[in-house]
Amino acid sequence: MPPAALAAAATLPTSLHEQSPNPIHPRKSAAQPTTQPWQKESARSYGLGLAPALVVLGSITLLPLLTLITVSLTPLSLTNPEGTFHFNQPLGNYAQLLEDERFLHSLWVQFKLSTVGVLLQLLIGLGLALLLDTGSRVASGVRTLFLIPMVLPPIVVALIWKILYTPEISPMHALLEHWGLPVRSLIANPDTALWAIVAADVWQWFPFTMLMVLANLQMVPRDPLNAARIDGANRWQVFRYIVFPFLKRTLVVCALFRLIDSFKAFPLLYVLTNGGPGTVTEVTNFYGFIQAFNFSYWGYGSAIAVVMLAGIFVLCAVVSHLGRNAGARHAR
Amino acid sequence: MHAEVTLSITPSRPPFTQRFTGFVARHARDAVSVLILLLVLAPFAWLIQMAFRPAADALELNFQFTPTLDAFRDLWQDAFARSFGNSLLVSTLSTALSMLIGVPAAYALSRWTFRQRSHVALWILCTRMAPPIAFTIPFFLAFRWLGMLDTVWALVVVYLTFNLAIVIWMMQGFFDAAPTALEEAAWLDGCGIWSAFWHVTLPLTRPGLVATAVLCFIFSWSDFFFALILTRTQAVTAPVAIVNFLQYDGWEWTKIAAAGTLVMLPVLVFTALVRKYLVHGLTAGGVKD
Repeated sequence: MPPAALAAAATLPTSLHEQSPNPIHPRKSAAQPTTQPWQKESARSYGLGLAPALVVLGSITLLPLLTLITVSLTPLSLTNPEGTFHFNQPLGNYAQLLEDERFLHSLWVQFKLSTVGVLLQLLIGLGLALLLDTGSRVASGVRTLFLIPMVLPPIVVALIWKILYTPEISPMHALLEHWGLPVRSLIANPDTALWAIVAADVWQWFPFTMLMVLANLQMVPRDPLNAARIDGANRWQVFRYIVFPFLKRTLVVCALFRLIDSFKAFPLLYVLTNGGPGTVTEVTNFYGFIQAFNFSYWGYGSAIAVVMLAGIFVLCAVVSHLGRNAGARHAR
Repeated sequence: MHAEVTLSITPSRPPFTQRFTGFVARHARDAVSVLILLLVLAPFAWLIQMAFRPAADALELNFQFTPTLDAFRDLWQDAFARSFGNSLLVSTLSTALSMLIGVPAAYALSRWTFRQRSHVALWILCTRMAPPIAFTIPFFLAFRWLGMLDTVWALVVVYLTFNLAIVIWMMQGFFDAAPTALEEAAWLDGCGIWSAFWHVTLPLTRPGLVATAVLCFIFSWSDFFFALILTRTQAVTAPVAIVNFLQYDGWEWTKIAAAGTLVMLPVLVFTALVRKYLVHGLTAGGVKD
């Protein structure tokens, strides 16, 4: 927030723990003689506590954002280091993106990875949550251990799957061979590489859905459940008509969170396939990385990042809209 | 659950088979979930057992080996020890800095109602949503210009982008939940807002402070993307060092597995401590690359 706005906010006569006299139009209340000296004093005091964070947050988020957008309008690259302020073709990078088949391909790969991955995470997470919703001591212990994949550092997850997908040392390949099913490396095969990545991603993130759904299952109101059982509803009907409608919002919020995170998939791709074979597993994020840091086309890479940001911003707006009502309930 | 009071005068145990099927029926769901758990954690267990193998049978697929710490000892004599130290330093510094700046901000946001408050909250949320690459390009160019590439401080600053968001978001929740009556009493006794905060509110929210700091540490420790791009040799962190092993060290699998085990160890220990707050941290300010 700019300092001017902060100063304006600091002079608002908002009281500490009571509602301001006119909560809908707080500015109008400035005309009323309710401003106490201590209220001004406390606003100044709170402002002082908030200011450093806003200054730091501003300089590490807004400045980079401005830089990113500026750079995306220039041909800046390692071979063109003076290109910083060349704005003769401001939309050149974006025009080039539309014709760049590798970029368009990366969007399609991203779409496949995200939709299939998120759907599987929802299904498996929901299924396991229903299985574990028994209140038994075993179930609560199992539930905790299921969180391990999610909390592991992403690079360790990538390492685990690298081992699993490397035929010479993989227990999975050894078992398959033992059963007479010799399989070629999944990540070297263009037909299976993307799905191998999806499998690893699902392994890492289904616990997230599981955890959110479990937390919400405990809040399903008991009365309609009991009423339905007394009326003779079977398990499926209870789930379909009472439990599922109650969980719907959680599932949507989960899906959006996972969707947004799936745009950032990186360590798995970097370690397992490096975008290959060919460009089969090259998602948009990875393509941006390659353009910016392998080829050092910073201007072009920035344009890709801006496009991604725009897409995520739309999703972010949806999340905050949904989360405003559901957030407090789900997040804890 | 177990002890059922029998009211009949001549209590009789049901025959064994009946008891057995009853037991199975009661625990079928538990059994299925344990089975799935074992299946899910098998790849994870495989990595750990590899770390304790002698290098000679890294490629064997049996469990008949005498566990050894050779791989860990080799790592210790390697450059890996240094990258482990870098990770510790960066994560600690970044956590401390973000707590120092973020906690007072969270308190102000919790207690002070001003018009733009919801905008600040939305801005922080969006910080968490933005793809790391959007931050990395500007930071890379800036640090290159400042000659700060491959320094620990570059990473400390960059990790603030997600750590500050976690701190503000989580601590605001803890402060909202803390009672205000004691603070008000302190004010009446002549305390200023910040001295009441320091002497009254902070001690009340100590569990929240610990959980938040631990999550910041975990997220910084786990980062791979920023560290990969902003470091070369001097400030390399442990996750990046693992990838360097994969690329240059001729597939010394036991060593790689040992490095992976060392990197996950602090995270697993710390997560066990803050399990309760994990989802809150992941949905509020968490960052995954």
